Amino acid sequence: MNRYFHKELEEIRSKLILIGEKANEAGRLAVEGFIESDLEKTQAAVKMDDEIDDLEVEIDRASVRYITLRSPVSSDVRLIFVAIKASHDLERAGDEAHSIAKKTRTILTRDGKVKNPVEIEKMSALAFAMMRDAITSLLDENLELAQGIIKRDKEVDRINKENYTTLYNEMKGEHGDSSTHVETILISKSIERIADHAKNLAEEVIYLLTGE
Amino acid sequence: MPKSQHSFTSIRPKGEALVWFTGMGLSVGILLIIGLLGIILKNGLSMFWPDTIYEVQLVEGSTAGPRNGQNFAGAIALERHKRLQEATNAGLTSEFQFFAGNKDAYGQMYHYVDADQIVTDATGEPLFTPASGILQLERIEFGDALGFPLEIQLADGTTITEPEALKAALFKTIEESNERLETYTKIEKKQIGRINSKMESIRLEQRALREELGEAAAETSPQIQELNEQQAALQAQYTELAAEARELRERRHQDSLLLRLATGEERRISFENITQAHFPNEMSLPGKVGFFLKQIWRFMSEAPREANTEGGIFPAIFGTFVMTLLMSLAVMPFGVVAAIYLREYATQGVIVRAVRISVNNLAGVPSIVYGVFGLGFFVYVLGGSIDELFFSHKLPTATFGTGGVLWASLTLALMTVPVVIVATEEALSAVPRGMREAALACGASKWQAIQRIVLPASAPGILTGLILAMARGAGEVAPLMLVGVVKLAPSLPLDGEFPFVHLDRKFMHLGFHIYDLAFQSPDSDAAKPMVFATTLLLIVLVIVLNLSAITIRNHLRKKYKGDTF
Amino acid sequence: MSQTPETTNARADFEPFIQIKDNYNFWYGSTQVLFDMNLDIPEKQVTAFIGPSGCGKSTLLRSINRMNDLIEGIHHTGDITIADQSIYDPSLEVISLRKRIGMVFQKYNPFPKSIYENIVFSLRIAGRNKKSELDEVVERSLRGAALWDEVKDRLHESALSMSGGQMQRLCIARAIANNPEVILMDEPCSALDPIATGKVEELIHELKKDYTIVIVTHNMQQAARVSDRTAFFYLGKLIEYDVTDNIFMKPSNEQTEAYVSGRFG
Repeated sequence: MNRYFHKELEEIRSKLILIGEKANEAGRLAVEGFIESDLEKTQAAVKMDDEIDDLEVEIDRASVRYITLRSPVSSDVRLIFVAIKASHDLERAGDEAHSIAKKTRTILTRDGKVKNPVEIEKMSALAFAMMRDAITSLLDENLELAQGIIKRDKEVDRINKENYTTLYNEMKGEHGDSSTHVETILISKSIERIADHAKNLAEEVIYLLTGE
Repeated sequence: MPKSQHSFTSIRPKGEALVWFTGMGLSVGILLIIGLLGIILKNGLSMFWPDTIYEVQLVEGSTAGPRNGQNFAGAIALERHKRLQEATNAGLTSEFQFFAGNKDAYGQMYHYVDADQIVTDATGEPLFTPASGILQLERIEFGDALGFPLEIQLADGTTITEPEALKAALFKTIEESNERLETYTKIEKKQIGRINSKMESIRLEQRALREELGEAAAETSPQIQELNEQQAALQAQYTELAAEARELRERRHQDSLLLRLATGEERRISFENITQAHFPNEMSLPGKVGFFLKQIWRFMSEAPREANTEGGIFPAIFGTFVMTLLMSLAVMPFGVVAAIYLREYATQGVIVRAVRISVNNLAGVPSIVYGVFGLGFFVYVLGGSIDELFFSHKLPTATFGTGGVLWASLTLALMTVPVVIVATEEALSAVPRGMREAALACGASKWQAIQRIVLPASAPGILTGLILAMARGAGEVAPLMLVGVVKLAPSLPLDGEFPFVHLDRKFMHLGFHIYDLAFQSPDSDAAKPMVFATTLLLIVLVIVLNLSAITIRNHLRKKYKGDTF
Repeated sequence: MSQTPETTNARADFEPFIQIKDNYNFWYGSTQVLFDMNLDIPEKQVTAFIGPSGCGKSTLLRSINRMNDLIEGIHHTGDITIADQSIYDPSLEVISLRKRIGMVFQKYNPFPKSIYENIVFSLRIAGRNKKSELDEVVERSLRGAALWDEVKDRLHESALSMSGGQMQRLCIARAIANNPEVILMDEPCSALDPIATGKVEELIHELKKDYTIVIVTHNMQQAARVSDRTAFFYLGKLIEYDVTDNIFMKPSNEQTEAYVSGRFG
């Protein structure tokens, strides 16, 4: 028997998907802004952060209300629990996108153009694919997909480490552009973080689906 | 707790003794009931069984038996140890009670014979040999006759003596004779009765006219003339019918049977006196069973004869049935309405409590008091007033101003109304409160809620009360003796004569019938089997009435079944 | 404990349909059971009365259709109005008042009649016996109570042959047969199993589209699930009355907080 308040649960779930989409979109815009030296995309990414924050608050509020008024149990209560945690992760992913965009803006306003010696594009493609898959696994309740995401985090970590080494070495050799290098290191780190949040989200989906 | 109980309970499990005690109480009760029913069943049913008739040979010099020492034939009714009048050295001797019939010849039907007066066989037991070919006749007068048929003489002069032909002719003649009886009874009761009632109404009209017109003028008035003509025509019809009936009667009277009694004398019995014949010693077992069932049926369907000691008890069964039914009809609405007011409308308080206690105590008032009240109030006051108002033309002959089935029913209804009130109150209070509230919440008025919901739901409980009331009412005798029961009622309270239900008629009742047979009968030996059989029927009637009420109740229960009850 | 009913915050944002007003007080004999009640109930919403046993919530509910009149020795001060008409108006007969108010009881109490006759009872007592009308009412009420599909083939069987949950829904169908404005429910699910309870709660959610519903419940989760507004009573006083979300998530009264969080007593 489906109860009328189960609709509220579905609303929470769709809000969760929505916040995921938005976080992913913000990250994509921020990275594209960096790679293409596109200030507009960067600005768009900065603006999205507020929407994401609002959505997180909405999800939290709806979750608490659902727990208080509907006394959920079993998979329902896991969904609420996952919603609270995942919305937090996604909000943090949004924050990382926000920070990428701000750093890109700093570089662009200072240099006019980003000179990028490292693998940001491939790395971000990997990270966003993870994030997209994590959201899809939540939407489709796809356990295998979620389990696959966790391993993929290693590759992102490795690229991040490479980027760091490359940039660090460059900074030791030439003494021209160290501030851009520091910002690029941080951007790389943010992308790595986004991948971490995608991994967390995947783990939460696994918890939602298996209860473990 | 007293000390003794402490030591008691320490030896045995607590309450064990009480369980045994209660069980014992129940067993004693059941044993008593089974014993009572057993006695009634055995004695009641044995009346219908064709007993073997034995030849009783008396020892030399005996003066016992119906003919002072002569051998005779009879059925053994009883064998018992004789209560010795004087101390003898013989010890205990037995005596037998024989049913020898032939009251007209012997003076009484039952005879006591000491065992030592009877010829014994080799082992010292009394010698009884079945009397072969003996005929038992049921007669309208003087009870049964026992004897050997010698010849039949018919009205047309034929005489039959050859044994086989005689047997056939005997049964045929009885059948024909019974048919004739039926015919002339019909003529006398129905046709002549109708003529009589017409004549009676004509007479009343004539009287009214004479009073109106004056004696002299009336004689010449055309109406009187016409009435006289009608009267003459009816008179002619009457004469014709009466002649026909007389002829049939005559014919029955002239057919006769010659019987030789076991004591030797010969007696001629007219067929008008014979209702049934059988050869008890020549009957097979199925034959006996058939005869037994037929006798039961005749007992239930025929009217009594010979001061109630012979014949059936149909009028009593019917009277009891009608009275109980009328009583139920009266007591049900009365009791239920009273209980509804008491439970649903009256403000619960001291007065209602007092009323309730009074009602309960009414159930404990001796029933004869109700009889006296019924006589004083219903018969004299109510009945008297009704007679004055509606039946003044019949006075001083009382119509309702004397005991009758209506007053008897009302008296018993009054007596049993406490039972119905108490049961109905219980049933009403057992209807869940939620059910009333639901009805009221639906917008029903209080009366609608009671009428449509509460009463149907409490119907099974109300019927239980009615069952109890019926059981008590049907078995009551004392008050009825004052308000309408008679030893012999000429007609039933319900018949084909307009207005079909005669509430003013006196009636017969099984309970009174038992009393009458047992204590008022001229021949108590002859009446004894009847007492038991009548008791049996009264019990059966009460059971049947109760069973039908229980069936209705169960039907209602099923209809209203559910866990809300 | 200062006992000013905190109802003002919940007022004015709706048009009241049932009003308990003028400091409604109620006595059984000399025992006062309701104290200074003022409460506005909105139309076509579910209002839940909660509180510990003996807090007066059932008494208040039964005051609304004057079911308490059956008890001897009651009296009251103050007034209750439904659509601005006082229920104590001497020109208003209590029977016609009850026809406007359906009631569902704690223990399902179908009449020992057929399913059909149960539903048309309120019409029959009003003298409406036209078969086509009755048939129509039966179908509408049973559909309204989500029972039609389950019983349409056995309308003339005894109502007592149904399951407990079905009987309670039949009682709801009976309550709506007369097209009332208000449905009062006195702990309608306390005798039902969770599945049947769920069905009845679903039904309440559906019914509020057409009827104003007041429900008394001991089950706080139930109040939270089905009601739009909740009133908390304690010792015959209205402690707090607000939209259900507020009562359960951020009650403004300490006693309410303690009661809904199970710390009471």
